[in-house]
Amino acid sequence: MAAKSEEKLQKEVVIEIKGLKKSFGNKQVLKDINLTVHRGENVVILGRSGSGKSVTIQCVIGMLMPDAGTIKVLGEEVDQLNDKDLKSLRTKIGFLFQGAALYDSMTVRENMEFALTRVMKITDQAELDQKVKDILESVGLPDAAEKMPSDLSGGMRKRIGLARTLIVNPEIMLYDEPTTGLDPITSREISHLILEMQKKYKTTSIIITHDMECARIVADRVVIMDDGKYVAEGTFEELHHSTEKFVKSYFI
Amino acid sequence: MAEQVVITGGWRKWLEEVGEQAVFFTRFLRNLFSGGFEWSEFVRQCYEIGYRSMMLVGITSFIMGLVLILQLRPTLIAFGAESMLPKTLTVSIIREIGPVITAIICAGKIASGIGAELGSMKVTEQIDAMEVSGANPVQYLVVTRILATCFMIPLLAMIGDVISLLGGYLALNLTDSMNLHLYMTKCIASLDYTDYIPALIKTVFFGFAIGFVGCYKGYHSNRGTESVGIAANSAVVTASLWIFFIDMIVVQVTTILFYK
Repeated sequence: MAAKSEEKLQKEVVIEIKGLKKSFGNKQVLKDINLTVHRGENVVILGRSGSGKSVTIQCVIGMLMPDAGTIKVLGEEVDQLNDKDLKSLRTKIGFLFQGAALYDSMTVRENMEFALTRVMKITDQAELDQKVKDILESVGLPDAAEKMPSDLSGGMRKRIGLARTLIVNPEIMLYDEPTTGLDPITSREISHLILEMQKKYKTTSIIITHDMECARIVADRVVIMDDGKYVAEGTFEELHHSTEKFVKSYFI
Repeated sequence: MAEQVVITGGWRKWLEEVGEQAVFFTRFLRNLFSGGFEWSEFVRQCYEIGYRSMMLVGITSFIMGLVLILQLRPTLIAFGAESMLPKTLTVSIIREIGPVITAIICAGKIASGIGAELGSMKVTEQIDAMEVSGANPVQYLVVTRILATCFMIPLLAMIGDVISLLGGYLALNLTDSMNLHLYMTKCIASLDYTDYIPALIKTVFFGFAIGFVGCYKGYHSNRGTESVGIAANSAVVTASLWIFFIDMIVVQVTTILFYK
């Protein structure tokens, strides 16, 4: 057991956050965030609404810049990168938005091809078709290619959003509340899909969620956030059996 | 020691807005010349902006030409200058009324459309999704739309001018009878390059104002559905003001260059 955890510690660190602070106006959202994520690991961040969970992953991908602290992603300090290097780093990170953020003026196929043609510069139509076919089959929607996002249900939108993100083979996946707004059955399906995709594409993930069932299914490690800080950390089982009142309140 | 000047309230907000617009303009220019132009999106926008506005511009231009003749006629008759009707109409349409009215109509239709479209894309995180995927949303959404308006507004204004003259011809024939060939010959003969070249140039600026303001307002809308409406509304108001402001400058410059 000890040897196993030591082996895990020795794994390559892909995300390293140290002393991260972020304020909006007078409100300090992140007070002192420290987090290390190893390759292949699924880290779930739990916390109350407005506790700064999404802000953390937005800082990781460089959508927001920290006021203080450092964020190293794949060995590069995000806030020190110029536009070109940041863009290059972003091609290695996938971000699944809460509402899936599908481009609603494009078909599902065009959504899939958007980054492939513009970022990965793939121009061969046969290769594009094959990639789209493969990824849609992976997420269980092989016949959705010609549909418009408005024709899709909430669960289907999440699957297509996940497919669009995974199609460029990111090393890291950031999920912003992937099961919010879905019924329990679809939520469970999406959670299993996340796990399946992580195994298939060998991604490292940070998952922001309120959904305890999702956390139970996908998490290798759970971090609980409160008042801009991480207050508890461990496996789902460890936290489930925690004696701390605040931690227990999540598992009631 | 010099006292520090602190700007607050409305002025501060205005200055911040000007600064943001300058930054946005710089981003537009940088992306315009950075390569990777989105041709298919540009063509789609030209179709959406130009072709889909043609009916509206055509109808309003036709009515404008017709009404102008009906209004001008009694005044010119009073001065015994009825024969000047085609010339008066042509010069006023080509120089001023055609470009400005077309631009104002397009500000209402196109700037609001762009503002609402980009605003809703911002609210639903589609622009963020493009950005985090490593693609370039400014190149895809902004450059194509601004260039499409710069290209299509002059074209719409030219088509609107011709249709206005046809409206004027119909009005003339309600009471008099004039051959279309003669009418058009009179119209064309009354024009000089100083009439249509500055008018054409200013429509390019009008197009830029419509596209730029629409994109800026949409791209910088706040999160929340209410902000989509605000973006569309303020895009129309700001673009309309820009159009009159540009018109004033171009008329002043043209007057200095050609009529003094």
